[in-house]
Amino acid sequence: MAEVRRRRKRESRVLRYVVLGGWALFCLAPVLWFLSIGLRPRTEIITPQPIYLPTFSLDAWRMIWSDWPMGAYLRNSVLAIAGSVVISVSLAIPAAYSLSRYRYRFREDIGFYILSTRMMAPAIVAIPIFFLFRNMGLLDTIWALMLIYAAINLSLVTWIIRSYMLDIPPELEDAARTDGASDLRILWEIIIPACLPGIITAAVIAAIFAINEFLFTLLIASTSSAYTMSVALANFTGGSDGVIYNAIALVAFIAFVPVFLVVVAIQKHLSRGLTMGAVKG
Amino acid sequence: MARIELSGIQKKWGAVWGVRDVNIDIADQEFVVFLGPSGCGKTTTMRMIAGLEEPSEGEIRMDGEVMNEVEPRDRDVAMVFQGYALYPNMTIYENIRFPLRMRGVPRAEQDRLVRRAAELVELGGYLDRKPAALSGGQRQRAALGRAIVRQPQVFLMDEPLSNLDAQLRQAMRVQIKHLQRQLKITTVYVTHDQIEAMTLADRIVVMQGGMIQQIGTPDQIYSDPANTFVAGFIGAPPMNLIEGAVSGGVFRASGIEVGGVAVSGDRPVTLGVRPEDCHVGQGEPHLRGAVYGVEPTGEATYLTLKAGEKLIEVKAMRAYRAALGITEAVAFDRARLYFFDVETGQRIG
Repeated sequence: MAEVRRRRKRESRVLRYVVLGGWALFCLAPVLWFLSIGLRPRTEIITPQPIYLPTFSLDAWRMIWSDWPMGAYLRNSVLAIAGSVVISVSLAIPAAYSLSRYRYRFREDIGFYILSTRMMAPAIVAIPIFFLFRNMGLLDTIWALMLIYAAINLSLVTWIIRSYMLDIPPELEDAARTDGASDLRILWEIIIPACLPGIITAAVIAAIFAINEFLFTLLIASTSSAYTMSVALANFTGGSDGVIYNAIALVAFIAFVPVFLVVVAIQKHLSRGLTMGAVKG
Repeated sequence: MARIELSGIQKKWGAVWGVRDVNIDIADQEFVVFLGPSGCGKTTTMRMIAGLEEPSEGEIRMDGEVMNEVEPRDRDVAMVFQGYALYPNMTIYENIRFPLRMRGVPRAEQDRLVRRAAELVELGGYLDRKPAALSGGQRQRAALGRAIVRQPQVFLMDEPLSNLDAQLRQAMRVQIKHLQRQLKITTVYVTHDQIEAMTLADRIVVMQGGMIQQIGTPDQIYSDPANTFVAGFIGAPPMNLIEGAVSGGVFRASGIEVGGVAVSGDRPVTLGVRPEDCHVGQGEPHLRGAVYGVEPTGEATYLTLKAGEKLIEVKAMRAYRAALGITEAVAFDRARLYFFDVETGQRIG
């Protein structure tokens, strides 16, 4: 009896791994397909006949680094994203603390207002923002990208951090208050360390959104001094060369890898950040 | 060390009363326990002493100085919380050091005081651990260590033992009482556990519905309850409260007759009698009832009798056993009978 039970358990485990492995392959297939396109010659990609033995080629790799300012795109992406994450997290922490802890009139309404900015179609504000940055002399600069990414992500970052702060027992603050700490000290020494996983999660989610941001980047950036990876991808789709699929695939892969690694590293926290709001308001 | 006076303290949130007209004078070095069921206002009163809540009305004084407007950090009180409230990102050493750091105590002095406090709560070997790596009892001791490290004027303890198992709770109770006597610090302790209140307190403040029901030593509260709430709340199992009527100096209820009652006039009253003041099969019986349940606990046997519709708890000898349904006769200890007004619940005899 015990032997039968053990065998069934083993079988069910094997089955589970087969199903999960199949699912993982299904999810990763597009990424592997991208990589395979990126590492093949251009002629081979556009041929209508199937090719069973692909040729390995670094043509696309050489092309994106020699014909295009990839270094500048990467640098712009990293700086704009890092800057925007720093700005949004710095503003979101005090806002989230206030929304989660202090009692004042219209607190819930203010919270909802902050979140509601996320519900607006970005195109509605695209033109005013273009004029705003033009008047400020910030068009085609990384500073403008930092500000716009931070503005886009601020509401989400605030709400994610707020949900983590709500989970911190108020007793911790009461204890710190009777121990002699000021409000700022409490925020800095107790609250921020206690909700650090939430802050990191919010930062990563903000970074992912910023990497994928296209509309405002296209609007604000007009040269390689502000182009980011997402807009750079679009550059391979026009002009006299036609659509350069292998370069697009390779750049997309390069943009994908660091995000993927970070997500794998913090996936436990990330799932909570992404389901935020599902179980609490 | 400090004397705490609460005069006319009220706390209201909108239309909801938290605390009503609380007046109490806590002497220097006294150990006072606020006892009552959930929502009785005991924790709110303590939080007002700590400065974490502001009274809607009334005055809080410490050593004669009005404290209403004083920030918690300037009141020189230390608080121990039900959920320990240890800072999760800090080690036990850093947790205990935190109040010293906030008050700008010199570094070398900080180290000496932290180690001394850790020794007092027997946590010397755990200083480099994070709270998550400690057991419930150790965490509670760490919270105590953080409270005693700077020798505050007042200790405030909000149900500090309620998350511990029964055995550990008893051990910690002894430790808290010992520490309080050793350090001679005025202590206010909040609990809903009457055993904690009886064993720890110099004086107990029994609260219900935001109001003080009685203030007294544990003996006074147990032996001389002011009303049916206090009588029923203190004691395990609680006092039997039997509604009946007095006529011509005789109390009568279904299955019960007690003569020579010192309650004037003919009126309905509530008789209170503790299970241990009831004696099965001894002397002239006052109560006859059918055996409804028998619960041996080891040190005694608790017998439940049904008299009319009322169930009455009686403490019998440890070897006592009886079949359900048989009739038992019980005599009350006449010197330990309590009479209460049926309407107000106040003691009348």
